[in-house]
Parts: sequence; structure tokens; C-alpha cells
Amino acid sequence: MQNIELTEDLFCPAETDASDREKISRPTRSAFQDGWIRLKQNKGSVIALAILLILVALAFLGPILTKYNYYDTNYKAIFQTPNAEHWFGTDKFGRDEWSRVWYGTRISLLIAVVAAALDLVVGVTYGSISALLGGKVDSVMQRIIEVLIGIPNLIIVILLMMIMPAGIGTLIIAMSISGWVNMARLVRAEILKLKDQEFVLAARILGTSNKQIILRHLIPNTVGVIVINTMFTIPSAIFTEAFLSFIGIGLQEPKASLGVLINSGFQVINSQVYLLFIPAVIIVLIMVCFSILGDGLRDAFDPRMRI
Amino acid sequence: MRKYIIKRLVYLVITLLVIATATFFLMHSLPGTPFDEDKISNLSQEQQKQVYASYGLDQPVYIQYFKYLKNIFQGDLGTSTLYTGQSVQSILAARIVPSALVGIQAVLVGLLIGLFLGIVAAYRHNTSMDYLTMVISVLGISVPNFVVAALLQYFFGLKWGLLPVAYWESYASSILPSLALSFGVIAQIARFVRTEMLTVLQQDYILMAKAKGISPVKILLRHALRNSLLPVITILGSITVNILTGSLAVESIYGVPGIGSLFVDTIKANDYSTILGLTLFYSAFYVVVILLIDILYCVIDPRIRLAPSKE
Amino acid sequence: MKKLTAVILSAAMILSAATGCNSFTGKSGGTASQTNSGEAKSTSVNLYLENEIPTLNQFAASDNIAFNVLNNISEGLYRLDMNNQPQPALAKDCKISDDKLTYTFTLRDGLKFSNGDAITSKVFKDTWLKQMAADTPNNYAFILTDYIVNAQEYSEKKATADQVGIQTPDDKTMVVKLKAPTPYFLSLTTFIPYYAVDMSFFEKQGKDYAVGKDNLVYSGPYMISQYDAAAGVTLVKNPSYWDAANVKVDSISIKIIKEQSTALNLYKAGQLSRVKLSSTDVPAYKSNKEFATHSIYRTSFVQFNTTAEGTKNVNIRKALSMAIDNGTLASTILNNGSEAASGVVPTAMSSGVTGKTFGSLRGELKTFDAAKAKEYWNKGVAELGGKAPQLTLVLDDDTENKDVGTFLQSQFKSVLGIDVKLDSKTKEARRALMKSSKYQMGLNAWGADYDDPMTDLQIWTENKNGFRGNFKDTDAANAYANLITEAKKETDNAKRADILVQAEKSLISDNAVVAPLYYMGSAYLVKSNVKNLIEPNSGILELKYVTVQ
Repeated sequence: MQNIELTEDLFCPAETDASDREKISRPTRSAFQDGWIRLKQNKGSVIALAILLILVALAFLGPILTKYNYYDTNYKAIFQTPNAEHWFGTDKFGRDEWSRVWYGTRISLLIAVVAAALDLVVGVTYGSISALLGGKVDSVMQRIIEVLIGIPNLIIVILLMMIMPAGIGTLIIAMSISGWVNMARLVRAEILKLKDQEFVLAARILGTSNKQIILRHLIPNTVGVIVINTMFTIPSAIFTEAFLSFIGIGLQEPKASLGVLINSGFQVINSQVYLLFIPAVIIVLIMVCFSILGDGLRDAFDPRMRI
Repeated sequence: MRKYIIKRLVYLVITLLVIATATFFLMHSLPGTPFDEDKISNLSQEQQKQVYASYGLDQPVYIQYFKYLKNIFQGDLGTSTLYTGQSVQSILAARIVPSALVGIQAVLVGLLIGLFLGIVAAYRHNTSMDYLTMVISVLGISVPNFVVAALLQYFFGLKWGLLPVAYWESYASSILPSLALSFGVIAQIARFVRTEMLTVLQQDYILMAKAKGISPVKILLRHALRNSLLPVITILGSITVNILTGSLAVESIYGVPGIGSLFVDTIKANDYSTILGLTLFYSAFYVVVILLIDILYCVIDPRIRLAPSKE
Repeated sequence: MKKLTAVILSAAMILSAATGCNSFTGKSGGTASQTNSGEAKSTSVNLYLENEIPTLNQFAASDNIAFNVLNNISEGLYRLDMNNQPQPALAKDCKISDDKLTYTFTLRDGLKFSNGDAITSKVFKDTWLKQMAADTPNNYAFILTDYIVNAQEYSEKKATADQVGIQTPDDKTMVVKLKAPTPYFLSLTTFIPYYAVDMSFFEKQGKDYAVGKDNLVYSGPYMISQYDAAAGVTLVKNPSYWDAANVKVDSISIKIIKEQSTALNLYKAGQLSRVKLSSTDVPAYKSNKEFATHSIYRTSFVQFNTTAEGTKNVNIRKALSMAIDNGTLASTILNNGSEAASGVVPTAMSSGVTGKTFGSLRGELKTFDAAKAKEYWNKGVAELGGKAPQLTLVLDDDTENKDVGTFLQSQFKSVLGIDVKLDSKTKEARRALMKSSKYQMGLNAWGADYDDPMTDLQIWTENKNGFRGNFKDTDAANAYANLITEAKKETDNAKRADILVQAEKSLISDNAVVAPLYYMGSAYLVKSNVKNLIEPNSGILELKYVTVQ
């Protein structure tokens, strides 16, 4: 290697602007865009999302694919195991299980969405406000929760059943009375932990409003817990709906949801296993996908996980 | 802290009062009567009037309410109409014990296994252990507990004869029901612990502990776990209340003479005294559990202050 | 903190195990039978009930679960034998006067309760008087006050005990005076509210009566050796029973099992002597030698509200009734020993005429005829102005009723082409709706209180608290009520049976107030070495005659 003499005139000062130093070199991305990109990189989540979309598609298109519908009975064809005619077999009234299962999936997905929405909208808000404002407000809000849980849900459900017609709407009202409470308590716990930490103090000093603190700082840090709990609320809601339909509020025959199908399938578990097995597998599949997706979401959106 | 606890206990009484009142009036709006309509309709009007009078049901609802309150404060919970003549206290006392035993075992087993799985899964993030925990968790929460109970009963009870099929005869009778109920607990606890742990394990102080040379086990249990317990404790509260107050399906399957079916049966039969007795019991239990959890928050994480901060 | 947690956890476990252990009931008396080891030393039978025992106080018991136990630890004047005929029990005979209004019972000698108290005619009188009181918790006062002279007045506190038609001239004789001839009075005495209660023991126990096994005394074939209302009872032979020599089984354990599949598992494990099969298990076990079916005097039917929109038209009602294929209902949907009903009165019920069941006199009143149903429907719709009414069926929310409802819905659709809505409610809610006439069709059932058609037919007249189906104020309804009143006064059994046949025909065929569906039944597996385990038509367990080989 040659020895080059490095003299001063070989160098000249670089042209910099004070503002250049403040420039951020990566393109600006909102938290949402950021998370979305990271989510797409997670292979597992993508597959889970795909499977979920297929299930949703089947839920709507499934019944159309066969010539049988979910309510026509045929007393000469009861309890058939899955065969070429009835791809999922028939139930005790000779109704086609394939149609019933997909029709039921539709309803269960609807319930899942409603339960999740309730959790996210009511539960998170309630919990965060309760925790952030603290003191007397927190006290009152928590006591309200205790009263809501204390009054037996079944009584309220039966009363609702007397004044409103049975159906999905009434069902949703019954479930919204206390379905969001767990979420509220969890979010409150997390925020109680976070609210006295330095970054919140910093935000306050900078003059951020309470709403902004909740939305921009506190909630993103509770995403992990929120996602996990939503995943638990969904099957719980599905089975609560099954129980409510059983006692007469909610779905009336011949309508059915996955939960109702599982309940009826359980009663014939000794002889017609497929009636329990098939809807159970579908619920498990949905839950597995939600679960992986949920994890992916958390990995993607939780700012503390950012590498 | 002591002042805070006393304050909360006062709130407890008020809350219970509100719950009891609301339940009382809602309950009396339920359709039907505590009596078997098919039988009572055979009695003449005069005879029926006497029946109602003997239960104090002939008086306006608000008078019945005050009478009930008076009795409560004297410690009398009334007599059941469904279990004709038995005092509500004796019914509750007898039925709660089996449910409590099964419940406590389920929660403890679930807690221990759940914690273990959650910690290991977080520590070995994205390995097969992690996925295994995920699978167990999803199964535990999406397979209904009565299916698990039936499977356990069939295999462990009938096929292999290792444990009692049903009945409540000896301690062994409580094993399968507790096991069946613990799956849901394991599932939830494992997931929450894993999630919180994942975040905690990335914190600086953990790195610092590693650098200091502290063994992984110690790091996990001494430092990481404590900071991950917040959601676990929260969820433990509602899990405990739900399980202890009896799982209807599992108790039916195993013939456990517990409290699970009591709520549904008494509400359907309009057994006012027992419904109120149960409600008071559940609510008191729930509120006390919440109080304990709130106190635990402060113990676990000294940064949390529940009393209004002097800002 | 770790240590503290460990301490708390272990304390919790120990505490719960300790308290929990007190609630265990311990192993019950052995398994179903002693087979190989030579002679059967102590024989036992293992049975179960499907719900907790609400009470063992005879004055508070009103459901079959309680009756199942009470029937075997107590006894009355007469008891049903294996052919459903009342046979002398605590009474050794009974003389009936010619006008059928006076029954003179003579008790056996040396009758005692298990605590040594004597069973005298006064004991019976005191028990019956207590049962007649209106506020007796089981609401069964009517089963005495409907029949005995001045009983109703006594119950309403308008007469004294001495004025009631029961006399006890001596310890062994009881003279009962009835208001009207009642051919089934002897079978009434085989019903639990008529059994003897040791009243002096009852008074002494006060609030504690029947709370535990030591708070009861026994007059029946068995005594209680263990009792937990939510777990079950264990019965052992009662040595002071007058017929103890003929009670062949030493102990019977009756547990509470709510879940049918658990019961089946226990039966397969040899821990139960008998199990009820669900309709879906029947095909698998039908050809098994342990299989048996049994139907009871409980009829399920569709009750129409004859004054409501749509169902007020008799042709609509007839159409709906004829559109139901209850044969398929019983054999395919229920498939558990239930029989298709031909009327609201069970076919095998006695008619009061010796040797003839009511069914043989009455014939088939319920028919399934799709074509005729459509005809009636069109006629009815035309009469209603051309627009087919929207109909709703209210029903209870248990599985059997919901299945029947679904079946009916599908029949109405396929035969009449209409969409009937199902409205399932809790039992109390449904009853409240029907009581206040806010329904069009309701799925209901009625269990016989005694072995006579009157129990199923008189409820359609002014039933002190409301009219079933609102069947009143029309010529047809009044004619029906007259028939029932006539029957109550008729002393000739053959004529009486005739009147009742007419009445049922009017109720079902002519006026279609009721569409009978099926007589409830059950299918069982019974271990082949257990014999004479019977449930007479009431559905109440009769354990006196059981034997184990």
C-alpha cells in the first residue's frame, strides 16, 4: 500500500444544516403502519390469518355448496355418519350437519366479534379511566363492577327473556352486562402499574391531555394483556351463548351455533361421536388461529417488544 | 394501609346491601311462584291464601323486603321452598364444602403448572416448549370443560379403573373433577405469565442480573416472576370465584354434591330465600377476593398506590 | 415472599382437604351382587336418582324424587303390588258400605314405628288432619279435602277436627266418610300423602324433623342408615316392619347422579344395578338381555288456548292435531319406551270396570291424517277470513321438550306448509304465560295422581285457579263440565266409565282442546340378577319386592 500523505487541503468541511442533524432517516411510519409491517413478517400469523379467512368464507359459502339446508328434517335419515350425501352426517332429526355446522360458525363468529368488541371498547376504556383518574372515581367504578357481578346474571337474563323476543339481539344485551369486566380489571391493573412511571410523568409535563396519555402511551403498553384476554373472552362468550340458548334466550330451534351444537353433541357422545367432534374441532381451529394471530399482533404492536 | 382496608370493608357492606336490594326486587319480578302450580291450582282460593300467608308472600313486596333485611341482620337467612323446610344456611354450608375442595385443588394445581409452563415458554421463546405451551393453552380454553371431564371419566375411571368414576366417597373422588377444572386455569395463567415475562425478560435490569452472573433460575423466580404477576393475580381472582362457586357441568358428571347447580335450580324454582342467600354469599366472596387482590397489587408492585395520590 | 407463598399454599390445601374430608360419604354397601362366593351373605342393590332429594318430610314432599325414598321407608293403609293393584298393607282389610260412601279400615295387630311408638288409627287420623291443612308445605291438601266429608271446610278453618268425616272408635278401626262415591279411593290410600307419620315424634322434633336420619322414624320396609340430600341415601331393612320376613334385600344405596352418561359409565363398571338409557343409546342396547322399557301414567300433550288468535277456531285446532305423527315421535325422536298416546288418559289406566282398561273402552282418539289435516286447515283459514294465522308454541327449556318442539315444528311445516315459531322458556315462565292465557299452543304434561281417568279429565273444567285452555263459557265447555259432574255422582262403575269415555271424546275429537302426544316412558338396563325392581304406573320406586340372586 502506498503511503499517501494526508494534508489538510484534502479535506473540506461537509455541508451540514442544523436541521439536518434533527432529520430522521427512516421514512415516518405511524405506530399502526409499523405494527402492520412487522405483523406481515411473522409467518405464523400470516398462515393463521389465512386459515381464519378460509373458515369465514366457508361459514358463509358452506351451506350453499350442498343442496341441503340447516333446518329441513328427514326422519328416515337420522344419525347418519359422514358420507357422500351428507358430508358431515346428520343429526337426530335428519338435518344436514354440514349446513348446520357452517351456519353455526357464522353465528359463533358473530358472537366472537361482538364479545371482542365489547371487551375492547367498554372494558379497556372503563379500566383505563378507572385507573388513571384513581382515588374516588376508581373506587366508585370498581364498586359498580362489584354490583354488576353480584346480581345473578341468570335472573337478569330471564327477565330480559320475558320482555324481549328471543334472538341474537337479546343475547348480545345479556352478554354485555358483565362480559367486559375481566378486561376492565386487567387493564386497570396494568395502568396502575404504568401510570406512575417516568414516561407518563414526562408526557404530563409536556402537557399531554389525559386522553392522549391513555391512547398514545398507556394502551400500547398494555397491548399484550389486552390481546391475550380478548382471546379468552371469545370461547367463554361462545359457551355462555350456548348456555343461554339452552335456557331459551337467544337462538331458538332450528337455529344453532357451534356452542349449541357442541352441547347437543355431548349428549350423544356415547354413540354419535362425530356430532361433538366436528364442531369442537372447528372451535379449536378458530381459537388456534386467533391465538397465533393474537400473539403476532402483540409481537407487532407492543412497543416494548421493539428490537 | 389499615385505614384503607377499613374503608374498603365499609364499602363491602354497602355494596352487599345494594346487590341484595337489587336482587330482591328483580327476583320478585320473575315469572312464576315458589310453588308447584300444578298442585297449588287444585286448592281453593281460600286454601291458597293461607299458603301464601304462611310464607309471608301475601304482603306487598317492600314490606317483605324490610322483613328480610331485619332477618339478615339477626343472622337468619330464611328457609328454602325448593328444599322444603331446610334452612338456607344448612344448605349452603353442606353444598359449598365439596365445591370448595375441588375448586381450591383445581386453582392450586392450575396455578403451579400454569406458572411453570408460562415461565419456561417465555424463557425459551419461539422454541418447541413455547409452541407446546401455546397448544396446551388453546386446547385448555377452547375445549369445554365437560368434554375434558367426560374423557377423563371414561379413561381414568371406566377403562383403566384407576380413579373413581363418580360419587363423593373418599378423597380420591375429588381428583378427577379437580383435574378437569384445572385445564382452563392452566391455559389462562400460562398465557398471561408468558406474555408478561416476555416483556420483563427484555428489560435492562434482567440483563444486568445476567451480567452479574446470577443463575437463570434465580433470575426467573426472584426478579422476573414478581414483575409478571400483575395480570395473573387479577385473573386469579375471577378464576377462583368462578371455580369455587361450582362448575355445574363438571359436578354433574362426577356426581359431586356441590353448589354448582344450586343457582340455576333455585332461580328456576323461584326459591327466593335461597337465591338471596347464594347471592349474598357469592357477592361477599367476590368483593373480598377483589379486596385481597388490590392489596396484593401493592405488595407485589410497590409502585402502585391505590389511595389517592397527593398530587 | 417465596416462603410465605409456600406456607399459604400448603395451608390452603391441608385446610380444604381436612374440611372436605368430612363431607365424603364413604363407600356405599358393596357392589351390585354377590356372585361367585357361594351364598349371598348380605345382598344389596345400587340405584340412583336424577336430582337432589328436596326433603324427607312427608308434609313437605311433593315431587317424585322425594317420593321415591318416602315410599320405601313409610307405609299407608294399602300398598300397590307388582300388578298395580292396591293390597292391604298397614290395614288388614277394608269394608266398603253399599252406598260406596263409608270405608271401614281395620289395622293389623302389633304395628309399630321403628322407635317403638304404636301405629294406631289415631295416628292416621292426626296425620291426615295435618295434611289437610291448607298451608301444609307440599300443597297436597286437595288429595284429602276433595274426597273426605268436611275436610275442605276444616282446611279453610270453617270446621273443627271432630266434624271431619274420620272416626276412630278404637285403636285398630278407622271409619272414613266420603263426599261422593270414589272407585279409586283405595288406590288413593297407596299414595304418600296418605301414609302414616308418627305425629308425637313429629311434634317433638319441631324444626329438626327429617333433617337427618335420626330425625325420622320408619314404618316401611326399609330404614335410613345414611342420608345426605345432595349425595344420596342408604336404606337398610327395617326390623320393626310388619312384613319384614318378605323383604329380601338387606341394603339399598340410592345416590344422586344428574348426568346420564355418568350413570351409564357406573352401570358398566358394575356400580349400579339399573340405569336409564337416553334415546340415542337405545338402539345400541335394544337387543341386550338386560334391556327393558316401562311407561308411566304421565301424558304429554299440546294444549290449545281456545280463545286466542288463530287457535280459537276449532278447525285450525283439529288440523294442527291431525298433522302430528306421534307414532314417529315416540319411535324415532324419543325412542325410549314412550308410547304414542291415543288419548289424554293413559291406555292402561283402569276404568273402574273390572277387567277392562280405560283404553279398551275408549279406543283411538288421536289420529294422524295429513290429507284431512290440510282439509281442516283450509276450512279454518277460510273461516278466519282467508289469512293463515301466525302461530307460536311455548314449551319448557329441557331437552326432551325441545326435541318434541322441533319435531312438531317440522311436522307443521311439512304437512300444513306453515312456519310455527318455537318459544322455549323456563318452566315457571311457561306456566305463568299459560296461566294468564298469553299463549296459543303450549307443550304441557300431566302425571296421574291416582289410577282413575278422573285425574286426567277433571282438570279441563273449572280447576279452582284457572281454566286450562280457557275451555269455558261455550256450549261445548259447559256440556263437558256437566259430564264430569255427572260422573262424579254416578255409583255404577260401568255407567261412569261410559260417561268418562264420552267426555274424553268431546275434549279431544270434537273440540280439539288437547292434542295428546305420548305417554312418557323410559328404557332401562337392569342387571339380570336383580328382580322385581318395579316402578308402578306412578313412576315411584317400589322396593319392597326386590330380590337379588
